[in-house]
Amino acid sequence: MPEYITKSFSPRFSFPQDPTAAHYMFHDDPYLMPKNSATARLFSLSKESGRNAAKYIIKEFPHFFDKILAEPNIPSLMPEICTPQIEGVSEEALRERINLRMVKASVDLFDQLLQAGTSISLETTNSLLDLLCFYGDGESTQEKESEEKEDLEESEVNASEQETPKRPPQRGSHPFASRWRENNNAERIFKIMPERNAHSYCTMIRGMVKHGASAKAYDMYTELLNDRHKADVHTFNALITAVPFLKDRFLERWELIKMFLNHMAQQEVQPNVQTFNAVLKTLRRCGGVGRSMAVPVIKEMEALEIEPSLATYDHLLSIFYRSADLASSGIISEVLDDVEKRSFTPQDPDDAKFFISAMQVCCDLKDIKLAYRLNKAVEKGDNWKFLDMDRLNSYWSRFFSLLCMMEQIDVVLKWYKEMSPSLFYPSPKNILDFLQALDAANHLEMIPSVWEDMKQLGFSKRRDLLEEVLSLMSRDQHPEEIQLAFAKCAEDIKTVHEQSGRDQASVEWTGSALGSVTVLFSRAGRTQDAWSMMERFQQINRIPTDLVMDEFLNCAKQTNSPDEAIKLVKLAASLGLPSSQKLKSRVEKEFKLSENQKKALESIQSDSDSSDSDSDSDRD
Amino acid sequence: MWRFTAFEALLGPEDYNPDVTLPVHSSGAGRNAVARNARRSSRSRPAALKGRRGCERRAEGAMWGRLCGSGRILLLAGAARHCGRPHSRTQKLFSTSSVLSATEDEPTAPADSTTKVASKEGAAETPKQKLLKMIGDMKVEVTTKRKFQQLKEQEIKKQATNKQEGLHGGSSTFQNSAEDVQRSKPLNPELVQAASAVASSFPHNKEQAESELLAQLRRHEETTDKQRRGGTINICNVISEMTVKRQSPAQRGVRISNRISLEMDEDGQRIKPGRPSSHSDSGRSLKAGKRLNIFTKASPETENALKTVSSPTIWDLEFAKEIAAVTEQPPRNGFEEMIQWTKEGILWEFPIDNEAGMDDGAEFHEHIFLEKHLKDFPKQGPIRHFMELVICGLSKNPYLSVKQKIEHIEWFRNYFEEKKEFLQEI
Repeated sequence: MPEYITKSFSPRFSFPQDPTAAHYMFHDDPYLMPKNSATARLFSLSKESGRNAAKYIIKEFPHFFDKILAEPNIPSLMPEICTPQIEGVSEEALRERINLRMVKASVDLFDQLLQAGTSISLETTNSLLDLLCFYGDGESTQEKESEEKEDLEESEVNASEQETPKRPPQRGSHPFASRWRENNNAERIFKIMPERNAHSYCTMIRGMVKHGASAKAYDMYTELLNDRHKADVHTFNALITAVPFLKDRFLERWELIKMFLNHMAQQEVQPNVQTFNAVLKTLRRCGGVGRSMAVPVIKEMEALEIEPSLATYDHLLSIFYRSADLASSGIISEVLDDVEKRSFTPQDPDDAKFFISAMQVCCDLKDIKLAYRLNKAVEKGDNWKFLDMDRLNSYWSRFFSLLCMMEQIDVVLKWYKEMSPSLFYPSPKNILDFLQALDAANHLEMIPSVWEDMKQLGFSKRRDLLEEVLSLMSRDQHPEEIQLAFAKCAEDIKTVHEQSGRDQASVEWTGSALGSVTVLFSRAGRTQDAWSMMERFQQINRIPTDLVMDEFLNCAKQTNSPDEAIKLVKLAASLGLPSSQKLKSRVEKEFKLSENQKKALESIQSDSDSSDSDSDSDRD
Repeated sequence: MWRFTAFEALLGPEDYNPDVTLPVHSSGAGRNAVARNARRSSRSRPAALKGRRGCERRAEGAMWGRLCGSGRILLLAGAARHCGRPHSRTQKLFSTSSVLSATEDEPTAPADSTTKVASKEGAAETPKQKLLKMIGDMKVEVTTKRKFQQLKEQEIKKQATNKQEGLHGGSSTFQNSAEDVQRSKPLNPELVQAASAVASSFPHNKEQAESELLAQLRRHEETTDKQRRGGTINICNVISEMTVKRQSPAQRGVRISNRISLEMDEDGQRIKPGRPSSHSDSGRSLKAGKRLNIFTKASPETENALKTVSSPTIWDLEFAKEIAAVTEQPPRNGFEEMIQWTKEGILWEFPIDNEAGMDDGAEFHEHIFLEKHLKDFPKQGPIRHFMELVICGLSKNPYLSVKQKIEHIEWFRNYFEEKKEFLQEI
């Protein structure tokens, strides 16, 4: 489909139109529709993981795929050829292996070439160094498994090449196995290089910083200066991000940053936006110094006419709103002023974090106006693209919590209806907040529908939520209809508790939950159900509260079932409750009892008396 | 049994079904049997991959089907190709993979033997008889091949029996092939006839002339074949295009950085109006304060100088990817998905173009209408007739490029030019 046609649709589709519909990427199948954030994540990754699996198979068993011709040939549908085509020991072959990113094979070939006495051009050696430094290269005596790990990492890189939007970029944080090792291949090759240019040094420095060898990187930088080379801007950026690992004291860190910046100016290296982002990122870890130096850095950017990226603002917010005293909203509103004015293209891997941290600041400040402004900014242009699945979820979950806290209930309900399954999957905390908002606004009649959503989201077994729902429902007396709905809801919750686990253990009854369910049944006039709940108290060795028993008695009275009332008294007596006397007198007064029933009531009395006397005697 | 039409010889047929009779073409000559057989076996592949081949074929059929406007014959040719498929597939399936590895180098021996037979017997015969013999040779080829497979199955050493078998087959099937030709007499091999007609108009060494003409046709057949097989070429293409694709993120990165710098130029001048309210409620503001005064703004020249960087390193590539991943979103609807697929190059481009992937820079009419290249030939007579048949065949051959087709015609032009004196003697 030509882009000009589809682009013409795009404003209409800029946000999903049907708020009840799941995202397009999910299969249109009831069993494959995600119900909550966990399944959504799983399903959204499924396509990509299938692709990776296919790639893996092709990579592992290339001999099964030797007949890959088609007419007409569509190269993008063909698997990438990852086996080197050039045989033999030559620089050409080495270059091919480097291009295919075969770390170990490249190193082996390099060694072979060296042993054969072939001189290898500086350019090729540099690109080999690039490869080794990027992947953090292991020892040449690598075990098979670590090689596999490397392969895994490689495939991960390939996957990111295939553009997995879900995967958060983790390059900045040092990835697992690949730490910089002493005298690894990169260092070895670097040492035996007959001549080195600035690029060789720079790539070594970047590799060392990336793989956590900051001190070595700094030494390498000194060597570079001694050799009278100039570093490039990326190298300086890497060095600046390494500053927190080089110095411990905040002021020393800042001095070091300033030194690097001065060196840049001396070596006539123009800083770019990533340079300043790196500076600010380091200032995040400089406490008060960071707070005082952040503004001059921003001013410097302005003076150089470098437009800040979203990451710049993210670092700013983090610098100014980290500490507990969140007195002012000055910085964030200024940041929002700037953000609203521009549209952003990604320039820094940290760009994606901005909207989430900004929303967090709004939450911390409890400033709904700012949150609305921020949300407008998100919807503007292509900014929404900065929020991938996971980030979108946490963004909306924060926003929703804030809404529940600060907004009128109708507004909250409107947002809830619009965003609930299509934009994000509420977290348990969101649901709690929502329930509290409903309670605060006296809209408890909504609870059954919230309960339905909870079941959908898979929260029906979360005890905190169940307790909250039940206690809210059973707290007050409501009109009959609502009570009936509540009773239905209570029945649901009862089945949740009673599902004896084929797959999972059922939720244990707690006293309060049992009591609430009983009350709800009683208020709806479902005496039999209520009584079955009463019996359960005994089974799990819990004691019903007076409120529960009163409600049950009321219910028995309304439905004119004196038998149940007598049973209750019996129960209370057998549990040895002090309220049994009161209940008994109530039963005697309020119910019309037959002779047999009266007798039964009397006998309970004696039972309880005897038990009382027993206990008395025990006490004696 | 295999039967070929004159056109097919030029078309570079692959798996023709003997049961399909072509209503228009005449059938006969099997000159190319030797080459074809070699090709057939070298192209053998696991049965599972045949399906793919089929698709390929179908695509071709579509390609040439499109040209049906230029003549009904073409349409029929296309249709015949279609019909031919199922049978030939079963044929291939029949020669199962157990034979597969064995067939690699098999046909060379019988090929030798048959050609020997051909040359020996063909010495003193008339062109027509020679033609018949050739057909016979072709049959020999086929039968030997079959027998050969049987022999394989019986695990008899091939070298010893090779020649014997070939000769034996040749003699035994000679009558058959003769019969066959008899049966298919109404469909005469016009091209060969035309060739022999041209040759017969030569005063001396008619056979030589004819065989030269036919040899050229055969050579052409071989190139056709090579190019159709053209896997190696395609793989090269795949590789080259892959490397291009690899570089694209970097290019994107470069583009992004260009865009960034553009935005800087646009927006950097703008003076940001300070908001009084923001000043009032906080002690700190982004607006107040001094700059670091470390850097000086670079002049445009130095900026440009910095931009001329060498080829992107792995760092640049990965950084570009990382940046692109920041705003990467899965498609939100079918349209976006199609946009994405088109960008990835896995969706057929619109408007529909069934010549996609065939980029030799020539339009289809250059492939089809080759009459304009016959200007230098006589307006009538046997040579004209012969050449018309040649271009007719060429126009239906999808495997040769336009340049090769013209070269082919050129060869005939030069050839007849050389023989002009002989021709004029008549």
